[in-house]
Amino acid sequence: MSLAASPADTRALRPDGVAVAAAIATLICAAPAIAVIALAVTRDAGAEFGAALIREGAIGTLSLVLAGGAGAIAFGAGAAWLVTLCKFPGRGVFEWLLVIPLAAPSYILAYAYASMTWAGGSPFPVQGFWGAAFIYAVGLYPYVYLAARAAFASQSACALEAARMLGASPSRMFWRIALPLARPGIAAGAALACMEIAADYGAAQHFGLSTLSTAVFRAWYAHGAPALALQISAVLLVAAMVFLFVERSARGRASYAGGSSRWRPLPRYDLNAVAGGSAAVFCAALIVFGALLPLLWLGRLALLHANVQDIVQPFVNSIVLSGSGAALTLSLAAAIAVAARRATTGWGKSPLFAAGMGYAAPGAVVALGALSLFGLAREAGWVGGLGAGLSLAALFWTYAARFASAGVGPIDAGLSRLSKGFDASARTLGAGPWRRFVEVDLPIAAPSLAAAALILFVEILKELPATLILRPFNFDTLAVKAYSYASDERLLEAAAPALLIFLAGLAPIIILARTIERRRAGAA
Amino acid sequence: MCNCEPFASFILEATLSFSLSRRGLVLGASATALAACTPGGGEDNYVNVYTARHYDADRALYAGFQEATGVEVRALTGSAEQLLERLRAEGEASEADVFVSADAGNLWKVKEAGLFQNVVTPALEQNVPQHLRDPEGAFWGFTKRARIIVYRKDAVRPEEVATMDALGTARFRNQIVMRSSSNTYQLSTLAARIERLGAENAKAWAGAVRGNFARDPQGSDSDQIKAVAAGEAQASVCNHYYYFRMMRSEDAADRDVIGKVGFAFPDQAGAGTHVNISGGGVTAHAKRRERAVQFLEYLVSDAAQTMLAPLNTEFPIRPQIAPAPDLAAAGAFKEENIPLDALGRHQAEAARIFEEVGWS
Repeated sequence: MSLAASPADTRALRPDGVAVAAAIATLICAAPAIAVIALAVTRDAGAEFGAALIREGAIGTLSLVLAGGAGAIAFGAGAAWLVTLCKFPGRGVFEWLLVIPLAAPSYILAYAYASMTWAGGSPFPVQGFWGAAFIYAVGLYPYVYLAARAAFASQSACALEAARMLGASPSRMFWRIALPLARPGIAAGAALACMEIAADYGAAQHFGLSTLSTAVFRAWYAHGAPALALQISAVLLVAAMVFLFVERSARGRASYAGGSSRWRPLPRYDLNAVAGGSAAVFCAALIVFGALLPLLWLGRLALLHANVQDIVQPFVNSIVLSGSGAALTLSLAAAIAVAARRATTGWGKSPLFAAGMGYAAPGAVVALGALSLFGLAREAGWVGGLGAGLSLAALFWTYAARFASAGVGPIDAGLSRLSKGFDASARTLGAGPWRRFVEVDLPIAAPSLAAAALILFVEILKELPATLILRPFNFDTLAVKAYSYASDERLLEAAAPALLIFLAGLAPIIILARTIERRRAGAA
Repeated sequence: MCNCEPFASFILEATLSFSLSRRGLVLGASATALAACTPGGGEDNYVNVYTARHYDADRALYAGFQEATGVEVRALTGSAEQLLERLRAEGEASEADVFVSADAGNLWKVKEAGLFQNVVTPALEQNVPQHLRDPEGAFWGFTKRARIIVYRKDAVRPEEVATMDALGTARFRNQIVMRSSSNTYQLSTLAARIERLGAENAKAWAGAVRGNFARDPQGSDSDQIKAVAAGEAQASVCNHYYYFRMMRSEDAADRDVIGKVGFAFPDQAGAGTHVNISGGGVTAHAKRRERAVQFLEYLVSDAAQTMLAPLNTEFPIRPQIAPAPDLAAAGAFKEENIPLDALGRHQAEAARIFEEVGWS
C-alpha cells in the first residue's frame, strides 16, 4: 500500500476488518440480553402483581445503588488519591493490598458477615439495608479504586505541579484538579460497581431486601412465573442501558485538555504525622473490612471442617474455566472497545451499550436468555442436547454476554487517553485497520487490557448462577461448591471453597496490579 | 476424569499475557483443551441426574448405587427452578434421566411442564407411603422433613407452641421471626394449609403471624433459630433438618444456640405436623429409562434408606426404617396427611397470599 492512498480510499476499497469483528462480537455479547427483552415483550407474564413487584424492586435497587455506590466511590477514589499522590506510612503496601476485596464475591461476604455478626451475637450486626450497603461499599470499592488509580497516575504531572506552585493544598488539589481530571476513570469504575450492585442477588436475598434482582427470582421461584421474571429482568436491562448512556454522555461532554502521554514519577505530597496516620488507618480499614476480617472468619470455619480433597478438582475446573472464559471475553471486548473508539458517529458507539446490558442483569437471567436461544436453535434442528461441548459453549457465551462490559470499560478508558493523532498518523502511513489495531491500539491499551483481564478472570471465578445452570455433568467449580453448601446452610463446609475463591483470585490480582505499574514505568 | 492441571497453568499464562494480538490461536486452542477436559468419554454405563440436593450424603448414595448395579451416577446440581428451565429448553434432546428436588412443590412444577413420565413399580409402591408420593407416580419421595416450631426455652412453655395457629395470637406479639416467603418450604407450608382449610383461613393465619413479626423476614432457617436463641424473638418456624444439624455441628457456637431453644412438632392434637419430601422422578425424555427406574428404586431400598439415615438429619421415607438416634429420641409424631401434589397446586396462590399480607 502506498502513501498516496488516502484513508478514505482504503476504507472504501475493502470492509474494515476491525469493524466487522466488533459487529460480530457485539452480536455475541448482546444476544442473550436481547433475547430476554424479546421474550419479555412477547410472552404473557400472567401475573397481576407484576407492577407492584417491579415498583418495590426498583425503589430497593435504586436506594442500594445510591448508598452502596456512594460508599464505593468515596472509598475507591479516596484510597486511589492517597496512594497515588500522597506519601504516608505503608503507602507502597497499601497500593497492592487495596485491590484484594475484588477477590471476594458479595454473596460470600454477606454469608461471612452474617455468620460473624449474627443478631445478638455482636453489637454491630451486619444486616438489612445498611448491612448490604456496607458489603457493597467495602467489597466493590476496588472497581473504582483501580480505575481511579489508573486515571490519577496518568495525569499530567505539569497540571499538578502548576497547582502546587500556586499554593494549592492537597485537598484543594484533589477537589479542583485531580478529581475533575480523573472523572472519566472514576465514572467507569463506579458504573461497574453500580451495575454489580444492581445485578447482585445473593447478598440482597440474604439480607431480605426487595430489589429488582430479588424480584426476578421471587417471580420465577415463588410465583412460578418465569415470564414475569423475564419482564422484570428486561426492566433491569433497559435501566442499565439508560444508565450507561447517561454516564457516557456526561463523560463525553467533559473532556479535558492536558493529558500528556509522557510519563514521569508524579510528585507526591508528604502528609504530616496525623494526616499520614489517618490515611494509613483509612486504607487499612478498607482492607480489613473488605477482605481480611471475612477471610479470617472463613479460615476459622474452614479449619473446623477441613474437606481439602473435595475441592481440588473444582479448584482446577475454576481456574481453567475462568482463564479461558476471560481470554475469550477479553478478545471480544477489545474488538468492541477499539471499534467504538474509532467510530465518528453516535451509532458507532452503540456497541458499548449493547455489550453493556448483560452486566446489570443477574447471571441467571442472562443464562436464561442463552438457554431460550438454545431452545429455539434446538427446535430448528440446528443443535442437539446440551452435551459437554455445547453446554461449555453456552457457558462461555453467557460469560461474554454478562461480563463484556467489565472488559470494555477499562479498555475504553485506556484508549481514551490515546490521542486521535496516533490513529491518524498510522493511517497516513498506510496502516490498515488490523495493523493499527494490533500495532497501535493494543500496545497503548496494554495496561488497560491487563486490568480488564484481571477483572474478567476474577469475575468469572466468582460467577455462580450461569455456571450453575449451564455447566456439564460432574463438573463443579469452587463457586458451585460454595453455593451448594451455603444454600444448604452449611457455612462450615462452604468456608473452604469460598476461601479458595478468595485466594485463587488474589494471585492474578496482585500479579496484574504489579504488572500494570511496571508497564507504566517501562513506557517512560 | 482427565487431569486438567497442565491446561490450567497454560491458560493462566495465556490470560496473563497482554499482547493478545498474536495469540488468537492460543484462545482457540484453550477452548478445545477445556472441552477435552470435561467428563463423558469412555464408559457409557451411567445415569444422568439433575438434582437440587447438594448433600455429601448423596454422593455416598451414588457410590452405593454404583456398587450395587455397576451404573455410575453423573450428577448436575443446581436450584430446582433453574434445572427445570434447562430441562425445558433441552426438551427431547435432554441428557437428564432423573430429576431430584428437596421439595414436592418443585417436583410438581416439573410434572406440570410435562417433563416427568409416570413410573409405577411394585418396589416403589411397596416402599413409599401413599401421602409421600405423586398420586400418578410422576415422582416418589425418598426422605422426609418436618416443619417444626422452635422457641426460646426461658421465655416460652412448650404447650404455648402446640399449634401453628398459636404463632398468630396476641401471646406472641412482636415475638416472631420468619424466613422470607420466597423460600419454597414456606410456600409449601402455606400451600398445605390452603389444601386443608381453604385460602381464606390461610390468609388470615399468614396475616396474623405477619402482624407478630419482630423484624422483616431475612436469612436462612438456621438464622431464624439463631435469632430466637439471641432473644430477638421468642419463636420461629424451621425445617427440623436444620435444627438437628446445628445440634450436631462442629462449631461450638451452633451447639450453644441449640442449648437455648426447644422445638415442638405442631398440631399433634389436630391435623398433624406439615411434612415435605425429597423425591425424584424419571424425566419424560430419559435416554436411560431402565437405569433411571432402577435408581429411584434404589433410593427407597433397605440399603439406601439405612445408609442415608445416620449420614443426614432427614427422616427415612419408610416408617419401618429407624432414623438417626437423635431424631429417634425426638419421638414419633403425627404427620399431616394431604395429597402431595397439593403443595404444587396451591403454590402460586400461597405466594399471592404472602404478597397480600406483606410477608416479604
